[in-house]
Order: sequence, then C-alpha cells, then structure tokens
Amino acid sequence: MLKSGLRTRAALLLALCCLIGLSTGGAMVQAAEDAGSYHYSFWGNTVAAPAAYQATKLWNGESLGVGPLKEPSDLHVTADKQIYLLDTGNNRVVILNQQFQLVRIIASFVQKGKEETFQHPQGLFVTDENHVFIADTGHQRVVHLDQDDKLVKVIEAPKSELLQDGFKFEPIRVVADKAQRIYVMAAGVFDGFMEFNANGEFTSFIGANRVFFSPVEYFWKMLSTQAQRSQMVMFTPTEFSNLDINDEGFLYATNSQSQNNVRKLNAQGSDILREEGYFPPEGDIRFTTADGPTRLVDIDVTDSEMYAILDANRGRIFTYNGDGHFMYVFGGLGNQLGEFHTPVAIERVGDDYLILDKALGEITVFQSTEYGRTLNEAVRSYYKGDEEQANTLFQQTINMNANLEFAYAGIGKALIRQGDYGEAMKYFKQSMDQRGYSKAFLLYRKQVLREHFTAIMTGILGLVLVALLMKKYRKKKGGRQVASIEQ
Amino acid sequence: MNSELYKYPFYLIMHPFNGYWELKYDRSQKANIVISFVILFLLALTNIMQSQYSGFVVNLVNPNGMNSFMEILYVVVPVLFWCVANWSLTTLMDGEGKFVDIFTSTCFALIPLVIIHFPWIWLSNLISLQETAFYHFSSSIAMIWCMFLLFVGNMTVHQYTPSKTIGTIILTIAAMGFMAFLSLLFFSLIQQMLAFISVIYQEMVLRS
Repeated sequence: MLKSGLRTRAALLLALCCLIGLSTGGAMVQAAEDAGSYHYSFWGNTVAAPAAYQATKLWNGESLGVGPLKEPSDLHVTADKQIYLLDTGNNRVVILNQQFQLVRIIASFVQKGKEETFQHPQGLFVTDENHVFIADTGHQRVVHLDQDDKLVKVIEAPKSELLQDGFKFEPIRVVADKAQRIYVMAAGVFDGFMEFNANGEFTSFIGANRVFFSPVEYFWKMLSTQAQRSQMVMFTPTEFSNLDINDEGFLYATNSQSQNNVRKLNAQGSDILREEGYFPPEGDIRFTTADGPTRLVDIDVTDSEMYAILDANRGRIFTYNGDGHFMYVFGGLGNQLGEFHTPVAIERVGDDYLILDKALGEITVFQSTEYGRTLNEAVRSYYKGDEEQANTLFQQTINMNANLEFAYAGIGKALIRQGDYGEAMKYFKQSMDQRGYSKAFLLYRKQVLREHFTAIMTGILGLVLVALLMKKYRKKKGGRQVASIEQ
Repeated sequence: MNSELYKYPFYLIMHPFNGYWELKYDRSQKANIVISFVILFLLALTNIMQSQYSGFVVNLVNPNGMNSFMEILYVVVPVLFWCVANWSLTTLMDGEGKFVDIFTSTCFALIPLVIIHFPWIWLSNLISLQETAFYHFSSSIAMIWCMFLLFVGNMTVHQYTPSKTIGTIILTIAAMGFMAFLSLLFFSLIQQMLAFISVIYQEMVLRS
C-alpha cells in the first residue's frame, strides 16, 4: 500500500515537471522565419534576410471591370489614397479607390467647346488637390485638368532661345510641385528636365547629368579635326529615365548610366542625395555579366524620405532610407504571383506597394510582413527624432534579421541620447559606423575620466613625489662620491 | 656586452652616420645578422598585431581576409627584393657593399617602423576620429625616418656620394619592378606547363 502510494506520487511529480518544462520552453522559443530575401553586408557579401514584402493580390483589366488594359505606363497614388492608372494603349486614365473599385475614367476633356482625346499618353501626376497632369506624348502636349476633370490649361511645344530649331516636344513624364511649377521629362532632351511656371510657360532646364570621360579621350578629342570629332563619341549628358517629387518639392530622378543613377535635385538642379550607406543606392551591387547591372526605370519617394527604385533587368524593387541605407528588396521576373514580365511603375499606398506590369497589363499588390512593418516604422521614428521608439523598433528588427547592420547604428544613436555611451560604442562598432563610434567614445572617455578623476590625479601626484625623492636620493649619492674622491 | 648588443640598434637610429659605419666595420657580422632577423620578425609581428588589435577608428579590416602568413610575406618580400636589386647594381655603380651588408643595413633601417607603430596599436584604442591625425602623423614620421635611414645606410655601405645614392635608389626601384615582372612571367609559365602536363595525363587516363 505504501509503495504504490509513493510510485503514484513520483509519477505525478514527473508529469508535473514535464508540463512545467514544456510550457517554459514553449514560451521561450520564437519561431524563426525562413530567409525569403537577401541583403548586403558591409563587406559586400550577400547575406540572408527575411522577406519584407509579399505579393498578396493581382489585378488586371477584367478584375477591375474596365476591360483589358493595353500597355499601361504609369501609376500615381494621391494623399487620399486614390489610385490613378494611365492606360496608354487605350488612351485613358482609370481612377480607383483603395479597395481597387472603379471610381471613374478620364478618356477625354473639353477644350474650347470641343471634345479632345489623348494619344499614347505616358506620364501621369496628381497633385494634393487632385489636379491631374497628363503627358500626352502623341499630341506633343501636357494636359492639366482639375479635380472635376475640367481643363485648366494645355502646355504645347514651347518656344525659347534655349531650344534648338526644329525641337520636337514629346513629354514622357511629368510632375508638379506645390508652387505649381511643372517639370517635364521629354524624349531626346539631355539637358535635364524642362521646367514650366504656373502659367505653363517654359523657363529653363534643370538637373542635367554630368558627363564622364577620361583625360585620354579628352586629349585625343582636342587633337582631332572636325571630321574626326564627328565620328567620335559625343560628350553629351545621358537622359533621365524617370522622376518623382516628394512633399518638400525635391525631385528624385533615375538614370541608366554607369554611376550616380539616383539623384535628388534641389532648386538649382544640384544633386543633394545623401549616400551614407555602405554602397551607392543603385540596386544590386553583385551581378553576373550576363544580367548586367541594375537598370532603373522608376522611383517612388514616400514619407520620411524613404524611396524605392525599380530594376527592369531583374524586376526587383530596392528600398532605401533617407540616409541612403539599403532596407529591403523584393520582386523578380517570372510567372508566379509577385513576379513580373515588364515592370514599369511603382507606387505606394500606405505601407503597400503597387507594381505595374506593362506587357501583362497587371497591378501586383505587395503587403508588408511583420519584419517590413517593423523596419518601416523604425525608419519613420528615427526620421521624426523619436529615439526611444526607434530604439525599440530597431531592436525588434535586428531580432528578426541580425544581418541588418545599419539598424545597430540606429540603436547606438538612441543609446547616446539615453547616456549609455559604452553600450552605444558596441552597437556602432557592430554597424561599422566609425563616426558614430567616435562620438560615443568621446563621451564615454569623458565620463570615465570624470568618474576616476580623484584616483588619476592621486596617482599622478604620487608619481611626481616619487620622482622628486629619487632625484634627491641620487644627488646625495653623487655628493658622497665626490667627497670620497677628494679624500 | 649583452646590454650593449640590445642598445646598439637604438644608438644607430639616433646617430645614423656613426652607427652605420660601426655596423659595417666595427661589429660582429654574425650578431648583425641575428639582430636583422629579429627586427624582421618584430616588424611582421607588429603588422599582424596592428591589423588585429588596432582601434576601430583607424582599423577597418575584414576579419575574413586576415592572413598572418601574407602579413609576413608583405614584410619579407619587399626587403628581399630591395636587397637583391641593390646588390645587383653594385658592380654597375662601383659600390663596395656585400649582400650581407646590404641586408643588415636595410633591416636596421626598419627599426623606426617597429618602435613607432608598436605603442600605437594600443593607443589607437584611446583616440577619437578627430585625433587620428596624430596617428597618421606618427606613421608618416616613421616612414620618413625609415627612408632616411635607408638612404644613409646605402650611402655608407657602398661608400657612395649622396647624389649617387639617390641615383642608385631610383635604379633599385626600377630593378625591383623588373624582378617582379620576371617573377610573374616565371610563375605564369610554370602554371601553363603544369596545366599542359595535367591535360596530357587526363587525356591518357580517359583514353584507356
């Protein structure tokens, strides 16, 4: 009787321990996400990273209820989350709400009492007041409509001494800033963007690319005759491939040259893009010679100076923060959901991305994963100067992706603000940020010296006293020797 | 005697003309060779420790690319190239130095690199980004001092005039380039011969 009782108790105790152990272990374990994407380390290696965005929905003309789309070229999303889709082959603008329900279609406008249509429009922009700018490429004009689709003005081919004779005005992209200035990217124009004032008059070019050539080429060109020069490569700037504008009125432009492919232009046309990341913000830094480097076709700038660029060669979207740090990458070429054939436009609705495929006439919707949401929020908090929130969110981010090196610098900055300089040094070192490390180290060194000032000064005084005593001792010794010699 | 043995290198770098003269004519050649190898070893050790323990603000090195053997080669190969090239020009320039003299004078000239860089390994952990100017300034002083000692050493070993010494140094650098080219050519040819032999062997193996 007693033995069986003991056995029962032992069995119960064992079961209880197992249950406690299971619950404890279960609480501790955090499910690890599989590596769905990649990132670049400080040393240029490709490292694993969680997927920040996942494709969730695919829209085409039938599912939108507007008939098949035909070579759509551009997208725009307004502040109130209306989606404007430029259907180039059908010469119309399709307007949708956030749930992708049809609001209306702009296929024509009235000019001087007559109905006018578009012909092969390629550029689209919508202002905060929902005024619509359409680059009507086939008709060689830019059309400005108000929020009720009534015509405000039409910008025809400009006349200016800056333009050569026979200049053909073929606008491809268009943006407008808050001061009603209009910037147009036209075909065949390599002097930068064409700037028009609020009345639609041409004022100047802005933001021409610099020409890259070697001194040897320049030397030979100087020695050549006129006929020889005409056979050589011309020193003309390359054309831009796309542009966007942010809330503060800065233009973001993309190129297809060998370097400086992403530019942020100020009012003078100078490039003020911050490139404090480990690599220039130009997409893939490692690629095969068969694929070639990243070829940018679109750029989208969102809140907190985050911007995303679209690579036509591999169908990938790269996102950077305002300092130029690479955040995440997604997308690709192929036939699955989330892959494209000919991606041409990228836009953002809240935290979601819309990618427009020209050949297939589809819009793919990407939604952020938990990792992507956390990283976006961390960058926003950091941009707003909310250091505590940024610290918390960056900590969560590096818990999900230890390979995200620039996040450690974000944590380091927050720790400096909190006064924990020693810990901040460790984080800056982990993110290979020498400047931040140096700043934290200066503060840490000052802190340590202040704490141990008494001990240090006591030590120094002790050393000085010992030195003086030694000196006196040696003098005495020397004196004795002299005395002995005299004897 | 032992104390004098250790003190002599420091005497030489502070009194180069007298030091090199004594090195060539007054001191035991065997002891000189031993000290020369010790200096080379210390310089290689300093370089390895520098890339491993220097402060973060002055040392941005990929730990995956760290290779102690290559660090040793980076010290030994230039010294050997310099000595062989300089020795090769001795007859052309009517110099008096033997190879062992050239070698020892070159190694003794490297002492400032060890003396100045070694303490900076740990000092660089206590400086900020603005204070790295002192670090780089010290490195420049070490390099200039080393170049000066090489110049004086060469002049004393061969009994050249200063202008002739400068000419010899320029020719030595050109000879080093030529030797590097020949080495690359030699290794490339050896590689092609080995590839040819291995292809023949594979051909025979696969045929049977």
